[in-house]
Amino acid sequence: MEIIILILAGILFATAIYNLLQKQLLRIIIGTALLSHGAHLFILTMGKLKRGQPPIIMEGISDYVDPLPQALILTSIVISFGVTSLLLVLAYRTANENNSDDMAQLRGDEHE
Amino acid sequence: MSNLAVLPIIIPLISGIILAFFHNKVNTARWLTRVFILVNLGVVSYITWFVFHNGTIVLETGGWKAPYGIVLVADPLAITLVLTTNIIAAACAFYTPHSMDLKQETHYFYTFFFLLIAGVSGAFITGDLFNLFVFYEVLLMASYALIVLGGGKVQLRESLKYVLINLFSSVLFVTSVAFLYSVVGTVNMAHIAERVQDVDQKGILTTIAVLFFFVFATKAALFPLYYWMPKSYIVPNPVISALFGALLTKVGVYSILRVFSLIFIYKLDLTHQAFIWIAGLSMIFGIIGALSTSNIKLIVAYNIIPAIGFIMMGIGVFNQDGISGSIYYLVHDMIIKCALFLLVGTVAYVAGTSDLRKFSGLIHYYPLLGWLVFVSAFVLAGIPPFSGFIGKLLLLKGALSANEVAIVILALLSSLLILYSIMKIFINGFWGKKDESIIVERKPVKGLIGPIVFLLAFSVILGLGAEFIYPSIESISTYLLDPEVYIKSVLKE
Amino acid sequence: MIFTVLIPLILACFIPLLSKIKEKIHTGVFVFFIPFIIFLYFIQFVGNDFSPVRQTFRWIPSLGINLDFYLDGLSLLFALLISGIGALVVLYSIYYLNKTERLGHFYVYLLMFMAAMLGVVLSDNVFVLYTFWELTSISSFLLIGYWHFNERSRYGALKSMLITIFGGLSMFGGFVLLTVVTDTTSIQAMIEQKDVILNSTYLPLILGFILLGAFTKSAQFPFHIWLPDAMEAPTPVSAYLHSATMVKAGLFLVARFSPVFSTYEWFFIIVSLVGIVTLCWGSYMAVRQTDLKAILAFSTISQLGMIMAMLGFGTEIAVFAAVFHILNHATFKGSLFMVAGIVDHETGTRDIRKLGGLITFLPITGTLALFGTFSMAGIPLPFLNGFYSKELFFESSLDLAGASTFADLLAQAIPYLAVFGSIFTFVYSLYFLFGTFAGKADLAKLPKKPHEAPFGMLVSPIILVLGVILIGLFPNVVNGTFLAHAAEAIKGVSIEKHITFWHGFNYTPLQMTLIVVGLGLVLVLTRKKWAGAYHILPGKLSLNRLYNAILDKLDDWTKDVTQSYMTGSLRLYVAIIIGATLVVTAIVMLVTGGFNIQFNDLADVTAIEVSVVVIMVIAALGTIVAKNNVSAILILGVVGYGVAILFVLYRAPDLALTQLVIETVTVVLFLLCFYHMPKLRKRNESAGTKTINLIISIGFGALLTLVGISAHSSKWFDSIADYFIETSKPLGGGHNIVNVILVDMRGFDTLFEITVLGLAALAIYSLIKLKKGAK
Repeated sequence: MEIIILILAGILFATAIYNLLQKQLLRIIIGTALLSHGAHLFILTMGKLKRGQPPIIMEGISDYVDPLPQALILTSIVISFGVTSLLLVLAYRTANENNSDDMAQLRGDEHE
Repeated sequence: MSNLAVLPIIIPLISGIILAFFHNKVNTARWLTRVFILVNLGVVSYITWFVFHNGTIVLETGGWKAPYGIVLVADPLAITLVLTTNIIAAACAFYTPHSMDLKQETHYFYTFFFLLIAGVSGAFITGDLFNLFVFYEVLLMASYALIVLGGGKVQLRESLKYVLINLFSSVLFVTSVAFLYSVVGTVNMAHIAERVQDVDQKGILTTIAVLFFFVFATKAALFPLYYWMPKSYIVPNPVISALFGALLTKVGVYSILRVFSLIFIYKLDLTHQAFIWIAGLSMIFGIIGALSTSNIKLIVAYNIIPAIGFIMMGIGVFNQDGISGSIYYLVHDMIIKCALFLLVGTVAYVAGTSDLRKFSGLIHYYPLLGWLVFVSAFVLAGIPPFSGFIGKLLLLKGALSANEVAIVILALLSSLLILYSIMKIFINGFWGKKDESIIVERKPVKGLIGPIVFLLAFSVILGLGAEFIYPSIESISTYLLDPEVYIKSVLKE
Repeated sequence: MIFTVLIPLILACFIPLLSKIKEKIHTGVFVFFIPFIIFLYFIQFVGNDFSPVRQTFRWIPSLGINLDFYLDGLSLLFALLISGIGALVVLYSIYYLNKTERLGHFYVYLLMFMAAMLGVVLSDNVFVLYTFWELTSISSFLLIGYWHFNERSRYGALKSMLITIFGGLSMFGGFVLLTVVTDTTSIQAMIEQKDVILNSTYLPLILGFILLGAFTKSAQFPFHIWLPDAMEAPTPVSAYLHSATMVKAGLFLVARFSPVFSTYEWFFIIVSLVGIVTLCWGSYMAVRQTDLKAILAFSTISQLGMIMAMLGFGTEIAVFAAVFHILNHATFKGSLFMVAGIVDHETGTRDIRKLGGLITFLPITGTLALFGTFSMAGIPLPFLNGFYSKELFFESSLDLAGASTFADLLAQAIPYLAVFGSIFTFVYSLYFLFGTFAGKADLAKLPKKPHEAPFGMLVSPIILVLGVILIGLFPNVVNGTFLAHAAEAIKGVSIEKHITFWHGFNYTPLQMTLIVVGLGLVLVLTRKKWAGAYHILPGKLSLNRLYNAILDKLDDWTKDVTQSYMTGSLRLYVAIIIGATLVVTAIVMLVTGGFNIQFNDLADVTAIEVSVVVIMVIAALGTIVAKNNVSAILILGVVGYGVAILFVLYRAPDLALTQLVIETVTVVLFLLCFYHMPKLRKRNESAGTKTINLIISIGFGALLTLVGISAHSSKWFDSIADYFIETSKPLGGGHNIVNVILVDMRGFDTLFEITVLGLAALAIYSLIKLKKGAK
C-alpha cells in the first residue's frame, strides 16, 4: 500500500507542476495547493502505514503508528495554510492591479 | 548559560510582537526599533565572545534531551553569522526612517523586520532539520510580507513570482526532510550526521542530499536556480532589498555549508566536485547578468550570484583554506551587499532614476556618496586591503592546493568584471560634467549615508584588521572539517 | 623605512584641509617636502659598501601577511627615482596647475600613488606588494580621470584600470600559486627555494601569471594600448606615473623575480620576445603620432620594451644595462614630458602639425628638448647618458644563445630587431625635436602667443637634463655606488661594468649605432615618402579597435544572453528550476545506484484505500482539464478531502480533523478570491511547450515517487519516535502523543508555526489595507 500512496503523491506532484507551468493564475495557485497535498502524503508514508494504533496512549496497547510524521505534517499544514492564504490575496491584488491574470503577460522589463 | 542560545531568536521575536502594537506611532516605533536592535546586537556580541571562549552552546529546548527534542546549537559558525546579521540589521534600522514611505513604515514594517531577523537567526542556530524548515518559513513569510509592502503593480507582480518559487522549494524541503527521516529515523542534524556516517552515505542518501542541495541552492540563487532573484530583489524599498540581498540568499548558502560539511561528506568527489562546477557557472552567468544592464539596482542584484559562486568554490574544494575562505567571504559579502543595496538605493533616490544612462556628474553634488560607491566597488571585487581580499586569498589558496586551476582563473577574471560592473556606476553616474538639468534639487542624504559608512567601516576592519578575525574564522573551519566535534557537543556521548 | 610609505599617506589626510588655503599658498608647496625628505633619506644608502636592509612590522601574521620591507640595490634605485622625480614633478606641478583647479584631489591622489609605489618596490611580502600594486593602479585611474568631465579622460581612466587591474589580478594568482608551492610569502625566501619552484608542475602557470602582471603594468605589446590614452592625465602625472615610475613597476617585478626564473628557458623566450617586439612596435608607432604627448607615450612604450628585453636576456651585461637605462630613461623622458607640458602650457596646443619654429620663442625649453631627444636617440656624444645604455643594449644583444632551436632563432634575430627599433627611436626623437622647435613658426595656428615658460617651471627639467649630462660625462660615478648593487639584486652577483665612451671602430655596437644614425637620418629626411607604410601596418589592424570592440561586444553580448533567459516569464523560471533539479537528481540517483525497493515490509492493500486513491487521481487530473473557476476549485477540494480520508484510514485523527477544517476554509478563500476573476480560458500553448510541460511534471512526480520508495525501503535505523511513544505519558504527561510532540517535545516548532500564521495575517492585512491608501 505504501507504494501505491507514494505513486499517488507522485501523481499529485506531477499534476501540481503541470498546473504551475500554466499561464493563468488560478491554475498556478491550484498547483501549489496540490503540491502541499502531495508533500503531506509523502511525509505520512515515510512513517510506516497502518502498523499500529492511532498514537494515543491506551492501556494494553503497545503498537502505535509513527507519531513524528504526523506532528510534522500538522506543522506543515498550518504553515501551508498561511502561505496559501497570503498567496491568494496577493494573486487577487496582482491580477487587479495589472488587469491580467495571465502570467505570460506579467513579465516586465529591465527599467521599471 | 545554555539559555543564551535562544536569545538571538527570542529578542527579535518579542521586539517584533511589541512593535506590532506601536505600528501607528511611528516615532515610538523608530526609537523602540533602535533600542531593541542595539540591545540584540549587544547580547549577540556577548554570546559570540562567550562561544569563542567557552565553546559551543547547546540548548535542548523544553528540556528534551538530544536527539529527541529540538536543539539549538550556537556554535562558532552560527553565532558569527548571527552577529553579522545583527550588524546589518542595525544599519538597516537606522536607514529606514530616511528612505521609507511613512505608509509602509506604519504598516507593520518593523514587526516584519524583526521577525525576519528572528527567522534568519533561528535558521543559523537551529540544530534540527525540521526546525530549520520552520525557520525558513518564518523568514520567508516575513520576506513575503516585506516584499509586497505597499507595492504597486510592478512590485506585486514580481512578489508573486518570488512567493511561488519559494513555495515550491519549501514544499520540496519538507518532503526531503521526510525522505531523510525515513532512512535515518531522526531529524536532529548531529544524529543524522552520525547515522549517515555509519552507513557511509550509501544508497539513496546521496540522492536525498542532492534534493537538499537544490532546495538550498534555490534560496541561495545559485546557477541555474537564480532566475527568480534579481528582479524581485530590486522592486521593494532599498532597505528591504538590502536585507534580502544580505541575508536571504546567505541563509541558503549557509545551509549548504552546514549540511555538506556535517552530514553529506562521504561522496565528495561527486557532490563537492559538482559544487565547483556550479560555482564556476554561477560566476559566469552572474557576471554576464551584471554587465548586461544599465539599471544600477539590477547590477548589484546580479552581483549576488558570483559572490555565492565564490563561497561555493570554497565549500567545493573542502579543505582548511577553502572553508575559511568561504566563511570569510560569506561574512564579507553579507556586509558589502547590504551596503551596496543601500548605496544604489540612495543613488537612485538622489538621481531620481535607477537607469545609468539618464544621469551623470553626480559627484559635483554628492561627493561623499560617490566615493562610497568607488570604495565599495573595490571592496566587492576583493581588492586589498579590504575585506573581500582576505576571503578571496583564502579561497584561491584552497582551490590551488586542491589543484583546481580553472576555477581560480575564472575567479580572477570575474573579480575584474565585478569591479567593472560597479565602476561603471562611478564613471558614468558620478563623473562627468556638472549638469544642472539633471538635479532639480539637492536632497539631504546625511541620514542615508551614515549607515552605509558604518557598514563599510566594518568591511575595512575585516580587511585591515584581519589579524583579529582570521584566527577565529580558521578555528571555525577546523571545527567544520571535523564533524565529530559538532556531533559530540550535541549528542554528548 | 616604513615611514617613507606612511608619511605621504598621512599628509594625504591633511591635504583637503591644506587645499582650503590654496589661494594663498599653492598646495603643492606643502607636498613638495615629502618626496624631497624621502629622497634625502634614501640617498644616504648610496655608496660602495651598501648592504640590504630589512624591516618587519606585523600585520596579519596568521596569514603570513606582514609589512616586510626589504631595501636592496634594486629597490634603492626605484626608491630614489620615485622620491627624486616625485619631488621634481611636484615642483613642476606648482607652476603647471592653476590655483583654480581641484588641487586637493590632485595631490591626494599623487601622494597616494607615491606611497603605493614606494610600497611596491620596498615590499618583500608578495601580498603586501600586491596591495600596493593595486593601489598604484587605483591612483593612476584617478589621476587619468582627473579632468573627468572630458569623455576622453573617462575612457582613458577606465581603459588603464581594466588592463592594469587585469594584470594585477593575474599577478595575484601567480603569487598565491607561489605561496602554495613554497609555503612562504617572502620573495627573498622564494628566491632561496627556487629549485622547488622550478621543479613545480605549476611553473609555466606561475610564470605566465606573473608576466601578465608585469606586461600590462609596463605597457608591453599587446597591452600597451592603455598608455597613450593615459596621456589625458595632467602632464606632471604623465611624467611621473606614466613614464618614470609606475610603468616601470612591471620591469621591477620581472627584475625582482628573475633570480627565480632566469634559468628557465621560457622566461628568456617570452620576456625577450615581448620586450623586443614592444621596442620595435612602440618606436614605429611613435613616428605616426601628431600629439607631442602621444609621441612620448609610444616612445615610453618602446623604451620599456627595450629594458624588458634586456631583463629577458638575463646576461650580466644585459642586466647591468637594464638598470642603467632605467635610470637614464627616467632623466631624459621625464625632462621631455615636462618640455611637452611647457609647450602645451605656453602655446595652448600639443599638436605637432600646428607647432614648429618655437626655438625663437622658447629657447631654454628648446635646448632642454635637444639634450633630452638626443640622449633618447642614443646619438654618440660623450655627454649623453642615453648613448651609453643604448650601446650596452647593443652589446648585450650580441652574445645571446638559446638552448632550443626556437630560442636560438630568437637570439639570432634580436640584434637585427634591436637595430630596427632603434632606428625608429632615432626618427621619432628628431621628429619630436624638429617638429616642435625647428622650421618656421606659424603663429596663426596657435591658440596662444608663445613665450618662454616661467623660471619655476623650468627648474625641474633643467635638473633632469643636468642629470643627463652629468651621468653622460661621469658614467662611472653611479656605477659602483649604485648600479652595481641594483644589478646584484637581480643577478645575484655584483656586476660592475666599467663604462667607456670609446671602444674603437671595430666595436660592433658602435657600428650598429652608426647604422642607426645613418639610416635614421635617411628616414627622417624622407618621412613623407614612406608614411604610407602606416596604411599597410597597422592599417586597420588596431588593438584599440579590438579593445573597443570587446567592450562594446561585451555590452551587447551580455545583454543578449541575459535577455534570452531572463524573460520575466514565470513558466520559464519554474521550468528551469524544476527541470534542473529533475535532471541532476535523476543522474545522481543512477550514478550512485540509489534506487532500492523492498516488498517485504508493506501494509496490505484494501479496496477502500484504492478507491480513495483512484478518486484522488481523477480529481487531480480534473484540475488540469476543468473549464470553469468554481468547478476547478471544488475538484481541488475533492483532493483535499481525499487526503483527509487517507489521514483517517492511516490512523492520524488529529491530522484528519485539521485537514478537514483547513481544506474547507481554503476552498472558501479560493472561491472568494477567484469568483470574480476572469473565467478559466482554454490553454493555447504550442505542442512543444505542452510536451516540455508534460515531461517536466511527469518526470518530477516520478522522480519523487522513486526517491520516496527508495527511502521507504531503506529504513536502516530505529526511529527516534519510539522514544516519544515511551515518554509521552511519563515525561510529557499526555495521552495523545502527537499533541505532546507538538506542544512539548517540538514545542519550539509550534511557537514559530504560530509566528508564521501571525505574520501571514499581518501581511494580508497590510496588503489589503495599503491598497486603499494608494488609491
